[in-house]
Amino acid sequence: MKKTTMLMQGLAAATLLSGSLHAQTLNILVEGGGEMQQQAIADAFTAETGVEVNFTVVPYAGVFERLSTEIASGRSNFDLATIDVVWNAYFAPYLDPIDDLFTDEVLADLPLALVEDARVDGRYIGMPAWANAEILFYRTDLFEDPAEQAAFRDEYGYDLAPPTNWDEFRDVAVFFTRDTTGDGRTDLYGTDVKGAFSEEWMAHVLQAGSPGVILDDDNNVIIDNDEHVAALEFYVGLHCEYQVSPGGVLETGWAEAQNLFNQGNTAMMRFWGHAYKQIPEDAVVAGNVGAAPMIAGEAGIAAIPGPWYNVIPSTSAQKELAREFIAFAIANNHLGIDSPLGLAATNSAYERYATEPGNEHYFPLMETLGANATRGRPLHEDFQEIVDEAVLPALQEALECRRAPADILSDARRWVEDIL
Amino acid sequence: MRNNAFSSRQIGLSLAALAIVVVYALPYIYLVSTSLKPASQVLQIPPSFWPQTVTLENYTRILGTATVPGSFANSVIVALTSTFLALVLAVPAAYGASFFRVRLSIYFMMFALITRMVPTVSLGVPLFTILKDVGLLDTHLGLILAHTTISLPLAVWLMSAFFESIPRELEEAARMDGCNRFQSFFLVVLPLVSSGMAIAALFCFIASWNEFLFALLLTADQAKTTPIVIAEFRTAYGLDWGPMTALATLYSLPVILITLLLQKQIIGGLTFGAVKG
Amino acid sequence: MKAERRFAYLMMAPACLFLLLLVAYPVLLLVYNSFFDVPLIDPSRREFIGLGNYIDVLQSSRVRESAGRTLRYTAFALSFEMLFGFGAALIFSALGRRSKWHRTIFTLPLMIPPIVAGLLWRFLLAQNTGLVNNFLAAIGIIDSPSDIAWLSDPAIVLYAVALPDIWITTSFVALIVYAGLQNIPQDQIEAAKIDGASAIRRFWHITLPTLRPVIAVVLIIRGVDAAKTFDLIWIQTQGGPRFQSEVLSMNIYQRMVRYGDLGEASASATLFTIVMVIIAVIAYKKIWSPDNEK
Repeated sequence: MKKTTMLMQGLAAATLLSGSLHAQTLNILVEGGGEMQQQAIADAFTAETGVEVNFTVVPYAGVFERLSTEIASGRSNFDLATIDVVWNAYFAPYLDPIDDLFTDEVLADLPLALVEDARVDGRYIGMPAWANAEILFYRTDLFEDPAEQAAFRDEYGYDLAPPTNWDEFRDVAVFFTRDTTGDGRTDLYGTDVKGAFSEEWMAHVLQAGSPGVILDDDNNVIIDNDEHVAALEFYVGLHCEYQVSPGGVLETGWAEAQNLFNQGNTAMMRFWGHAYKQIPEDAVVAGNVGAAPMIAGEAGIAAIPGPWYNVIPSTSAQKELAREFIAFAIANNHLGIDSPLGLAATNSAYERYATEPGNEHYFPLMETLGANATRGRPLHEDFQEIVDEAVLPALQEALECRRAPADILSDARRWVEDIL
Repeated sequence: MRNNAFSSRQIGLSLAALAIVVVYALPYIYLVSTSLKPASQVLQIPPSFWPQTVTLENYTRILGTATVPGSFANSVIVALTSTFLALVLAVPAAYGASFFRVRLSIYFMMFALITRMVPTVSLGVPLFTILKDVGLLDTHLGLILAHTTISLPLAVWLMSAFFESIPRELEEAARMDGCNRFQSFFLVVLPLVSSGMAIAALFCFIASWNEFLFALLLTADQAKTTPIVIAEFRTAYGLDWGPMTALATLYSLPVILITLLLQKQIIGGLTFGAVKG
Repeated sequence: MKAERRFAYLMMAPACLFLLLLVAYPVLLLVYNSFFDVPLIDPSRREFIGLGNYIDVLQSSRVRESAGRTLRYTAFALSFEMLFGFGAALIFSALGRRSKWHRTIFTLPLMIPPIVAGLLWRFLLAQNTGLVNNFLAAIGIIDSPSDIAWLSDPAIVLYAVALPDIWITTSFVALIVYAGLQNIPQDQIEAAKIDGASAIRRFWHITLPTLRPVIAVVLIIRGVDAAKTFDLIWIQTQGGPRFQSEVLSMNIYQRMVRYGDLGEASASATLFTIVMVIIAVIAYKKIWSPDNEK
């Protein structure tokens, strides 16, 4: 029922528009993924309204750079931009509020964490375009192998299954790290440890029950609280102590981790949900991948959501049209599901497709996104700088395995305070 | 005996030269080889140098996109025009500065040299606001002007070296024969430096063709050049190596062909400019 | 004489005007901004703070460290380019005309866009999937392809990111030195041979002194370019890990574009420009001046 109403609303808005607008063009600034995710929605929008949608695709960092320079110069080539949540706070003063687009229906259909990230200083400044979160991928051929199951039970005293908490995760990772070819070199690892980005560690921080990552709700620095330290010890321990990850952790970013898994070098991978659909047909692991919710700590399952938001720069030349597009896009959010990334923002969009074969990762993704401890990164205008200058360097130093995580984090605290 | 020693030394040298060249060419060959691999082999562990199956899918994929052919056209337009503009401005200026050796010429040459020292990033952001104010952002003209700030000093310095090699008596003789200064410049001096101009043009062209930071800052969509598109294969969701290597191969092909065709002139001109400069 | 001067100025005027408008004016704007606390995103929200930005910049350990890295990067890249370039040029020169094809192939990397070179080497140097480490492991120099962390070991990353720079510009050095070698009068060499001078002595006493101006040109052109390097390192490491491959122009870019601090970025860009210009002026006086030689 809900879906039909939303569709009707979208259609109504569209019909209203089509009467008054001819051959207009809506210019949207996006990153590569943003175009993929929204092309189908844009096509439907054009079909309904006659308004052409023109995507300007720039690299990831380019979205931030282009939008800041656009706003700086006072005039804008873009009516709308699709931005990463990490930039919401920075741009908020220069974005048009869209509170009225957050109707009860829209609010009811979005995971809470996404709604919270949309609101800066009490105003809604962006509408989720799609959301993503890290879930757990695992090799079904290994996990369902009776020989492995028996060996695991013998060694650890419980059944081999996709891990649900830190201890199980570590056990399974240690169990699968081995030399499979007999040449004396480890060639299968339990999992990867990513040293090029800090979001995965942040997810563990939330799992440990921290009231926030790096900063709490009142912008107090909490980067050295017990939960941050515990999460860093767990994260770094996988690499330093248990050595369950392939070498080169500092070089391992998202793309590298995904490749290691697809090539069959890791048995498990914590990764953004979209990777499930991106496993190439001829990949070593194709057909043997399972998906489970992100692992849990003392506070339960938690992840850092990775949503992107449609925002209207205050310099936009066609604000009304941009609002119509945003309303249309959220009402027809499910159209993005067919993109190569296969992502959406609303629960209804995921639910609608979750039971189809090939979409086995949608329920784990929804469970992770909707988990109680899942929450966004702090909405602070300097957060990007804090991550670049203090958080990531601290994580990377910890992964060098020389100093204790607690000491590193108390140093990092000073860096963060300097920036604030 | 002596002959033998001579030839074995020659063989050793040839082998050394061959080894250098092979080591030097390998990375590029690997780029081309990667562009011919299917997606599953691009990031194979361990990697193989040659593709196990050759495919053109990376090429068809990039040529099928809307951005790649357009960006190629942008690169050509911007590089050709900025080269033309740089030469039109630089050739007379270099002539005036180096041929006559008037007092202010030393300051002009210095000015041109100092321009090269300004970090691109320092120039890029003020240029952004300036171009924005006059409505030239994301236009060919805007990027052409920015690229000319790089190629103009380059051309001035190259050309002044060529002009210096020309005997002043030639110009004086032409004026004895009744030419005015403009006529002697166009009819007598310019033909003598035509090969130098070709070299300067080539270097200006490549400077613009390969430029990244200005293009990143000053274009969005309409005037975006191919280096930006190449970098865009690195998205938030990963790095698409296959198509990226295909595009990189295609984009470097024109300059490589030019280099092979004009090999003698390039080496001659490049080294002439630097050695005499 | 007067007419000649007027003609010369007339010829220089358009280029001069262009450089004033599109280089000098933007640079002045940069210097102007360096005295303000001004966010990139909203330049109208500016506050005059005098030398405040300069004090911040000079006190910042990050800026000092990235300046030091710029020096080390430049020195490293330059010395290897000179070493390889000289070696290749001497070999080509000894081969004489038969080195034509070698030189042709050698020219190619010079033409490759730096962004492509950077991406290509990032690909080659990757820890597990990269060709370099897999090759080294295959011939037994290292145990496993993950042993050398070219682009993430803080101790070596600054030098590893210079490899594509060395790759694309060694040819520049080689070709120029090669041409310089062709200009050495053969009779001098022959005379020295007759006198019984060894190859090393001939190189030291005849070749090197003759090549001095060539070497100076190469050092300056390449030195300036290496000190300005941005895209090549950016595409490989973004300055990481822990800023260990961050050079000055990246620090400025980061501060300006990513953190939106136009004022402080302008201050360090101004200082950077001043240092480069001083070096340029000194170099210029040494190489090109109407009074000496000619």
